[in-house]
Amino acid sequence: MASADGGAYSYSLTVFSPSGKLVQIEHALAAVSQGTTSLGIKASNGIVIATEKKSSSILIDDSMIEKVAVVCPNIGIVYSGMGPDFRVLIARARKSAQAYWKMYGEYPPARVLTQEIATVMQQATQSGGVRPYGVSLLVAGWDSHRGPSLFQVDPSGSFWAWKASAIGKNMVNAKTFLEKRYNDDISLEDAIHTALLTLKEGFEGQMTEKTIEIGVVTVPTLEELEAGKIGGETGRPKPTFRKLSEEEVRDYLAL
Amino acid sequence: MNTFVQRFAGSSASKELLAGNASITEDEDFSDAAWGSEAGFGSLARGVPSFMVPSVPDPASFLRLHTDDHADPSCRIKIQHGTTTLAFRFQGGVIVAVDSRATAGSYVASGTVKKVIEINPYLLGTMAGGAADCQYWETYLGMHCRLHELRNRERISVSAASKYLSNLVYSYKGMGLSMGTMICGWDKTGPAVFYVDSDGTRLKGDLFSVGSGSTFAYGVLDQGYRWDLSDEEAQELGRRSIYAAGHRDAFSGNTCNLYHVKENGWEFIGNYDITTLHYDGPGNVAGSPGHGYGYDLRVEGHSSANPPPAAAPVVAAQA
Amino acid sequence: MSIMEYNGGSVIAMVGKDCVAIASDLRLGNQALSISSNFQKIFPVTDRIYLGLPGLATDVTTLRERFRYRVNMYTIKEEREIEPETFAHLVSSTLYEHRFGQYFIEPVIAGLSKTPSGGVKPFIAATDIIGCLNFAKDFVVAGTASSKLFGVAEGLWEPDLEPEDLFETISQSLLNAVDRDAFSGWGAIVHVITKDKVTTRTLKGRMD
Repeated sequence: MASADGGAYSYSLTVFSPSGKLVQIEHALAAVSQGTTSLGIKASNGIVIATEKKSSSILIDDSMIEKVAVVCPNIGIVYSGMGPDFRVLIARARKSAQAYWKMYGEYPPARVLTQEIATVMQQATQSGGVRPYGVSLLVAGWDSHRGPSLFQVDPSGSFWAWKASAIGKNMVNAKTFLEKRYNDDISLEDAIHTALLTLKEGFEGQMTEKTIEIGVVTVPTLEELEAGKIGGETGRPKPTFRKLSEEEVRDYLAL
Repeated sequence: MNTFVQRFAGSSASKELLAGNASITEDEDFSDAAWGSEAGFGSLARGVPSFMVPSVPDPASFLRLHTDDHADPSCRIKIQHGTTTLAFRFQGGVIVAVDSRATAGSYVASGTVKKVIEINPYLLGTMAGGAADCQYWETYLGMHCRLHELRNRERISVSAASKYLSNLVYSYKGMGLSMGTMICGWDKTGPAVFYVDSDGTRLKGDLFSVGSGSTFAYGVLDQGYRWDLSDEEAQELGRRSIYAAGHRDAFSGNTCNLYHVKENGWEFIGNYDITTLHYDGPGNVAGSPGHGYGYDLRVEGHSSANPPPAAAPVVAAQA
Repeated sequence: MSIMEYNGGSVIAMVGKDCVAIASDLRLGNQALSISSNFQKIFPVTDRIYLGLPGLATDVTTLRERFRYRVNMYTIKEEREIEPETFAHLVSSTLYEHRFGQYFIEPVIAGLSKTPSGGVKPFIAATDIIGCLNFAKDFVVAGTASSKLFGVAEGLWEPDLEPEDLFETISQSLLNAVDRDAFSGWGAIVHVITKDKVTTRTLKGRMD
């Protein structure tokens, strides 16, 4: 029963093992920790999320791969784990953000959207005939109420807010590194460099604009906010989350 | 008097139709007079006033289609229906009381309408339904009452006058006339009240109320009515009844006009603002209770549901 | 007869200088028959948002509960009070959900929204019965006296009124408009919302 693979309980998601575990969830976490490393750092004036983008063959056109995804103009997500599962969650998150916009005329705060995604992930741990999502997520966003916020969501459906966190293959080392480098007054520019340095630890191969993806949250200035509803007459909010272009990534790597 | 009815009654046989059209053409010379001098009553010399009617085989049904909102609620010609009028007979004469609101749909078109028509110094008519219809025909009635006096050297009885009006409007039955009126006066028989409407109904009675607010007026009237009411009590009852209707009925209100018909003719008692009656009462007049008629004012401080005003701050704002 | 005229009632909201006011009559009728002179049509949503619901009385009660539910859920879920703009969108969405079986209510929203620099900004809005939003900068009206309210308010309103002047303007607008409407009246209530307090006053009006 207590065999390494979880024994008889390892296949039924909705049944606890005698030790109180849902072994499938632990397996899902194992899938996450095989995924490429991703990290997020909250700075005093923004947030950076970054990941390494590794393809199994040089023949793959890596311009198609997207690991940092924009959900809505104020929220972006990066993941470690299974790409297809992430794709499904992103679709759900985008739909949820649009449904929120339809109801309230504005995009959801990061916390609310994170909770929506976490609920979807939790449901996969309690429903029949499904498996948990094999991903952990880092959700970065800005809203007028809480300002910038960074959340991590795990396959169990649990989520926490972080000042800085890392997920995936090298998460233990990366977190240790971040703990050493992090301070509350760090600027966004410094945070981006810290993110790259952290990824460098244990990076296999060359770090280039093709193998790194970065997304940033920038906090709007008071002037921008006072200029009326963000985005003005178009009704389209000025984005506070954006992905860095390859050129920008290259510039940061060069420094 | 029934020439009009005869001309158009029921049948649409082509022969009668031709005769009808011919007579319209014939009438044209005095139709002009109706619009010109002699205050619209110029045709009097030739008998009953005659009006141009739609030249269709059955003008009554044609008019019903376009003017009668019972037959077609969306018809274009709207006639005002909201009103409260009342009249009652008692030992001291007749009390006539009316409100003064005119509505067009939900719009309060006027709050100062005179709904008591002073036919002559000893006859009053009330106005409910079409204002123009009431005004025109009751004025016309007044002229005939005077002619009756000249011919017979005595005043017309209320009964005769009301019957004259009733027969008149009956000849236009179905053509969109709308009036519900009370002809009130004092004749040889004493105080008299007759109800006459455009359907042709004519009723003799002690107590009537007409209009959308009549049910509310009846409520107060019925419980307060006695034959041997004093003049003061009777006036107060009329006032109080119109207040009740003005208060509860959305289509009645603004002010109350009160008349008292006595042996030597009618007397205008006064004009009372319904809201003033509600908050302060009729003031220093005969029969006044000395306080407002309003429900809240009468129960204030007497029940837990109506605590004294200190509990809820009320700011007086003058309109 | 229009369904709005079944119970009657009207609401108006106005913008002032760093304040807003919202006012309604107090009549509840059954067509021409007036039933009550203390029927509440304006409800507090938060400390700084008031919602007026003129229209069919049964829907006044239902929508009031519905919005309370939705605002409470929002407050708990988001751990913050809803802002007037957001609430206006919530009202709009809620009504449009019933596009093919409407609530017979024309909501009016009045509130103060927070500015990024920590001040307040007056906000008013109104929707039709299926939630079409109307963000006005001066005043909004609704109910059976709306056409009359438009006329009076158009004549009396001016920009940047102080709370006490705004109170006078909205009171006179309402009182005089409902006097020309058969289905509104029987007293009035006025709320003036300022940064640090809401002043509520009951007005004596015509009782006919």
